[in-house]
Amino acid sequence: MSKIYILCIEDEPEVLEAVVRDLAPFEAAFPIESASTAAEARRVVESILQQGQLGLVLCDHILPGEDGVSFLVSLHRDPRTTSSRKVLLTAQAGLTDTIQAVNQADLNHYIAKPWKPAELHAVVRQQLTEFVLQNETNLYPYLSLLDGERLGEKIRQQPLPPDE
Amino acid sequence: MRMNKRKVVGIFLGLLGFFLPWVIQFPGLSFPGHVTLGIFLLAAAFWLTEPVPIYTTSMLVIFLEVLLLSAEGPLCLFARPPVAAVTAEAAPREFRLPARAVTAGSEVLVARPSGAFDAVKVEVLERGPDTVRVQSGTLSTTSQVLTQADHWLARYVPASYRTFFAALADPIIILFLGGCLLADASVKYRLDRALTRMFLRPVGTSPRLILLGLLIATAVLSAFMSNTATTAMMMTVVLPLLAGLDRDDPLKVAVVLAIPVGANIGGIATPIGTPPNAIALAALTKQGLGVPFVQWVLMALPIVVVTLGVSWVVLMKLFRPRTAELKIELAGAFDRSPKAWGLYVVFGLTALLWFTENQHGISSNIIAFLPVVALPMFGIVGKKEIHALPWDVFWLMAGGISLGTAIKTTGLAEWMVGRVDWASLGGFAIMAGLALLSFLLANFLSHTVTVTLLAPIAVSVGSVAGAAAGFDLTTALVTVAVASSYGMTLPISTPPNAIAMGSGVLQTQHLVKAGGVIGVLGMALVLVMTKYYWPLFAR
Repeated sequence: MSKIYILCIEDEPEVLEAVVRDLAPFEAAFPIESASTAAEARRVVESILQQGQLGLVLCDHILPGEDGVSFLVSLHRDPRTTSSRKVLLTAQAGLTDTIQAVNQADLNHYIAKPWKPAELHAVVRQQLTEFVLQNETNLYPYLSLLDGERLGEKIRQQPLPPDE
Repeated sequence: MRMNKRKVVGIFLGLLGFFLPWVIQFPGLSFPGHVTLGIFLLAAAFWLTEPVPIYTTSMLVIFLEVLLLSAEGPLCLFARPPVAAVTAEAAPREFRLPARAVTAGSEVLVARPSGAFDAVKVEVLERGPDTVRVQSGTLSTTSQVLTQADHWLARYVPASYRTFFAALADPIIILFLGGCLLADASVKYRLDRALTRMFLRPVGTSPRLILLGLLIATAVLSAFMSNTATTAMMMTVVLPLLAGLDRDDPLKVAVVLAIPVGANIGGIATPIGTPPNAIALAALTKQGLGVPFVQWVLMALPIVVVTLGVSWVVLMKLFRPRTAELKIELAGAFDRSPKAWGLYVVFGLTALLWFTENQHGISSNIIAFLPVVALPMFGIVGKKEIHALPWDVFWLMAGGISLGTAIKTTGLAEWMVGRVDWASLGGFAIMAGLALLSFLLANFLSHTVTVTLLAPIAVSVGSVAGAAAGFDLTTALVTVAVASSYGMTLPISTPPNAIAMGSGVLQTQHLVKAGGVIGVLGMALVLVMTKYYWPLFAR
């Protein structure tokens, strides 16, 4: 079983700290990595892929240098991270950017700043559940942290191990 | 790489075992006995090392039996012993026969049109180098006599190939089929979840009582459903409950262990609880010692209840919970749709008839066909559920059942156990030995395979040790089946253990510690039951 990572990209240290704090309940099963620019995020992604898989990217829209949407699009084009769930965090996104993110990066969710911790928690839980449902065969380890109803349903549909 | 090496070794051992009896002659064993020994050794090697899936080995066993042992198979067809007409001598009732046609006991074998042979007593008048002159009132010039009276087919009446294929429709497999279909329908209408909720609601928030409730709920469900399906379902119920606990609270380990332990123990309770019980029952039924459903439950229930209590104490002692209360909220009420009601009625009626077999006398195997017919007929289950039945398990059981038939009919059974003076060992010692062997094997092998291998041996031992003081065949086979269910020490011992390990909550040592302690205590109880309780049911 390879580890599933969460990557947070945010250039303001206080905001990044808040995101990581809100996601702390997930850290037991999903290690959290962070970056403050798209370039740094690329390096982090490379090191994550050495040890496991990238499950979820929470990305700020406006970053110094390359912006968040463009980074998510490039992640989506890389076959190793196509299935990673992508969430955009933003205070003000124009229509064009939003359209680009949805169409080209297959954006999964959009969170407006400021967010409520419960909302962020629910979004991350739902997105990780989707990722695990699509990419993992052994779902039991995720039953307690993620959406147990949906995972349980999938387990019921799966064939059982043979013979007693 | 190591897997491949093991497979190669397995195939080599299997082929070696298969051909060995063709090369080496064992005195006192018939030729078909040799062939069956080869098939048995091949199956044992393949089941132990799994170069191919275990149910495939069962299919191969049936195929080899049909080819090599059945009357219609190529071996018996082409190996027809030569026959010749007798020639009459001048004197009345005197005939001349080939020398080898007359046995040492002055008998000749006359071929019937059906292919079987009748032994006919003759009076030998003159023995020449090639021919013998005999007198007999029974022989005539139309008689076809066997020219080689010592030919292996002369004494062996091969079974029809139907016998070996019919193992797949053995009444015990039908019993199991009925149980499986009821279980599948219960999963479909979430009866399993609703029952779990019903069991857990009264226990409140005390971790100790919740643990006991989980053990009991799992055991009750697994008495009617497969241990594996029960474990998978219960895991989806309990794992979400653990989210609120501290990461390293031992209660987590105890709760996750309670599921496979409860499922393995609960499987003992009924004939349909787990395939090993059905295999043991099939072997008993073949011996004319059928055990009614309710009698099995009466025999098994005490040990199930006591081991559940023991498991509860062991889990509490080994993994003392740190939290004082655990809140559980379980969703899922009873489905009230008409089809779900249909399921409840069919389930209730089947169970009622199973438990009242002594009153109405209709075999539980026949009753098991009621859900098989009723559930699809009323649309309660569909093709999907029929296709999803565990056909691999049915084939696995069929291979074992047909192997048992072959071992018995070819005389291999008596030969295998004829060497040891069983009577001098004492009945209890024999049964205890079988129990320990079953427990040891079951820790490493599939429980079904363990009992499949041991059941014919137990029956064979029974046929010669029947006279030994205290030996009872019913007790012996129940002992073997129950002992196999306590083989739950390692992650590979049984699929419920493997599922529990897959949750990520357990370390191997947790499972080995709990499974080992409960398994050994369970085995001690098995021996007590074998000595004092199960023989009470002997007939």
